[in-house]
Amino acid sequence: MKKTIPKYYPLIPVFGAYLILFLIGKSMPGMWELVAMLLFYCALGQAFNIFLGMTGYVDFGYVAFMGVGTYGMALAITRLADVEGLGVFIIILGFMLALVMSSLLSVAVGAVALRLRGAYFAIATIGVNEGFRFLIEGARIWNGSEGMIFTAQLNRILGRDAASALSTFWADVMVLIIAAFAAFVTLYYMRSRIGYALTALREDEDAAKVMGINVTKYKIIAFITSASFAGLVGAASWALKTPYVFPPEVFEIHYTVEAIIIVLLGGAGTLLGPVAGGLIYGLSKYYLSIFLPGFQLLIFAPIIIAIIVLFPEGVIGMLKNRIKDTALGRFVV
Amino acid sequence: MVFEQLAGNLIQGIVLGAVYGMATMGLSLIFGVLKVVNVGHGAFIMVGAFVTLWSFTALGINPILALPIAFVVGLALGLIFFYTSMKRLLKAPELATLLVTFAMGILLEEVVKLVFGSEFRGYNWVVGKVSLGVTVLPMSKLYACIGSVIIAVLLYLWFNKTRAGSAVRSVVEDDEGARVCGVNVGGTYALSFALGTGLTVVSGVLVTMFIPVGINPYMGGGYTLKAFVIAVLGGLSSPYGAFFGGLVFGLIENGSYTLFALLPGVEPFALTRFLSFLILLVILLIRPTGLLRAK
Repeated sequence: MKKTIPKYYPLIPVFGAYLILFLIGKSMPGMWELVAMLLFYCALGQAFNIFLGMTGYVDFGYVAFMGVGTYGMALAITRLADVEGLGVFIIILGFMLALVMSSLLSVAVGAVALRLRGAYFAIATIGVNEGFRFLIEGARIWNGSEGMIFTAQLNRILGRDAASALSTFWADVMVLIIAAFAAFVTLYYMRSRIGYALTALREDEDAAKVMGINVTKYKIIAFITSASFAGLVGAASWALKTPYVFPPEVFEIHYTVEAIIIVLLGGAGTLLGPVAGGLIYGLSKYYLSIFLPGFQLLIFAPIIIAIIVLFPEGVIGMLKNRIKDTALGRFVV
Repeated sequence: MVFEQLAGNLIQGIVLGAVYGMATMGLSLIFGVLKVVNVGHGAFIMVGAFVTLWSFTALGINPILALPIAFVVGLALGLIFFYTSMKRLLKAPELATLLVTFAMGILLEEVVKLVFGSEFRGYNWVVGKVSLGVTVLPMSKLYACIGSVIIAVLLYLWFNKTRAGSAVRSVVEDDEGARVCGVNVGGTYALSFALGTGLTVVSGVLVTMFIPVGINPYMGGGYTLKAFVIAVLGGLSSPYGAFFGGLVFGLIENGSYTLFALLPGVEPFALTRFLSFLILLVILLIRPTGLLRAK
C-alpha cells in the first residue's frame, strides 16, 4: 500500500491563532481572563468537532464526558492527597484518570448508542448527562449531590502560591495544549484512512457500508477520541481552575449547546472551524454579557436556526470554498 | 403496608401516565409524519404551562378553559416554526432538523424567561380531593387525566373520520403514493407539525396540575427525556402507541419510586430518573419498534 505523506500545513493557522491568543493574554494586563475563556471554547469546539463534524452525528449528552473528566481529576486529588511525595505528579495522575474515565464512559455509551442511526442515536444520547448525573446523585457515588471541594488538598500538596498560579494561569495553558493536540489529531484523522471512511459515512452511510467500510468501527474511534478530549478539557478547565465538582454544574446541558453552536458557526468537519467558532462565540458572549447580560441564548438560538437554514457550511466552510484553488487554500482545511 | 402504599402509588401512576401519554402524542405525530425528532419538545410543554399560569392569574380563567387558548398558541407556534425553518430542511440531513428543533426549544425558553423571569411560579387551583381507599387524589389531577383521555379519543376520531386525518395517515404510510393520489403533502406536513406542537402545548396545561413546586422556563428538559422514553416505548411514530407508552411509564416511574424508597442510603427520586434513562437505552437496543407493536 502506498503511504501518503501527510501535509500538516493547515495546522499553521490553527497554531498561529493559539499563539497569538497566548501572547495577547500574556502581554496585555487584564486580558488573561478573556483569553482563558476563548481558549476553553476553542478547545471545546476542537474536541466536539472530531465527533459531530466528522461523522455528522449529534451527541446531545456530550457534556457528560467533560463532567466525568472533572470527576477523574477531583478523585485523583482527593483520594491521593495523603500519599507522600507526589507533588505535581498528582495532576498528571488526575489527567490520566480523567482520560480513562471519560473514554470508559464513551465506550459504554458508544457500544449501545452507535449501533443506532441518526435520530435514534440522538435520542439515546440526550439523556446520557442527566442519566449519569442522577446515577451519581441517586446512588450517592462520590459524595452524591454534595459534590467535592478540594481547594484545601491542592493548597496542601502544591503550596498556596503554586495552587493559585495553577488555577489562574497553568490550568488555561493546559487547555491550550489540549486544544492544540486535539487540532493535530483532527488533521491526522482527516489525512488518514479514518478520515476518508468518516467522510464516506457522513455523505451516505449505506453506500459506505456497501463499499466494505466498517462504519461502526470508525464511528466508535471518532466518538472515543472526541470524548477523551472532552474529559481532559473538563479536568483542566473545570477541576483545576475551580477546585470543586458539583453534579448539576458539570452535567449541565448548556455546555453541549455551546459546543454545538461553536462547531456550526465555524463549520462542522473543518480543522480551523472550531477556532473561528470558538473565537466568534466567546467574544460575542463576552461582550453580550457586558452590554446585554442574560440575553446570550436569546440571541444565539435564532442564530443557530439561521446558520442551519441559510449557510450550513459555517464561516470556515464558506471561506474554504471561496479560496479553494488559491495559494491560501492549502492552509485552510 | 408496603403493598397498600404501592397500590396507591400505582393508581397515581396511571393518572399521571395518562397525562404523560398525552404529552408525548405530539412528539410521535411529528416523527411519524415528518420523520423529524422534536428535540425542543419539553419547551413546548413549558409554553403550555405558562399559558395556564398567565390565563389563570391575569385573566382569571379556569385551567380547563385554558386548553383551547393553549391549542391555538401551539398551532401558531408550529406554523411559524414550520414556515420559517422546518420546511426548508425536510430534505436536509437529519443533523439539521435535530439542531433546529433544539434551537427552537432554547428560543422558546429564553423568550418565556424574558417575559416571566426565571424564578419558580405557581398557581393555586383548589377543587377538592377524592379518596380512593388506598390513596387520596386531588380533583385537579383527575380532571387532567380525564382531559388527556378525551383529547386522545378526539385525535383518534379526527385521524379516522375526517378527510384531513386520512391525508395525514396516507402521508405516514407513503408520502410519494399520497402525492400521486392528489394529497397536498406539503400542506399535510405543515398541518401535522402544527397539530403536534398544538397538542404538546395543550399537554403543558394538564402537566401543571402535577407540579406542586410551580413552573419555570427551564422545566421542559426533564419532560423531553421522559417523552423520548415514552415515545420509544410506544414505537416512536404512533400517537396511540405514545399514549399507552405514557401509561406504562407512569406505572414504572411511581412503582420504582416506591421500591427505591425502601433501599437504604439512596435518593429514590434521582434513581427513578436514572432508571428511565436505562429503559430508553435498553428498548432502543432490543426493540426499536416499541414494546406495544406486535410485528
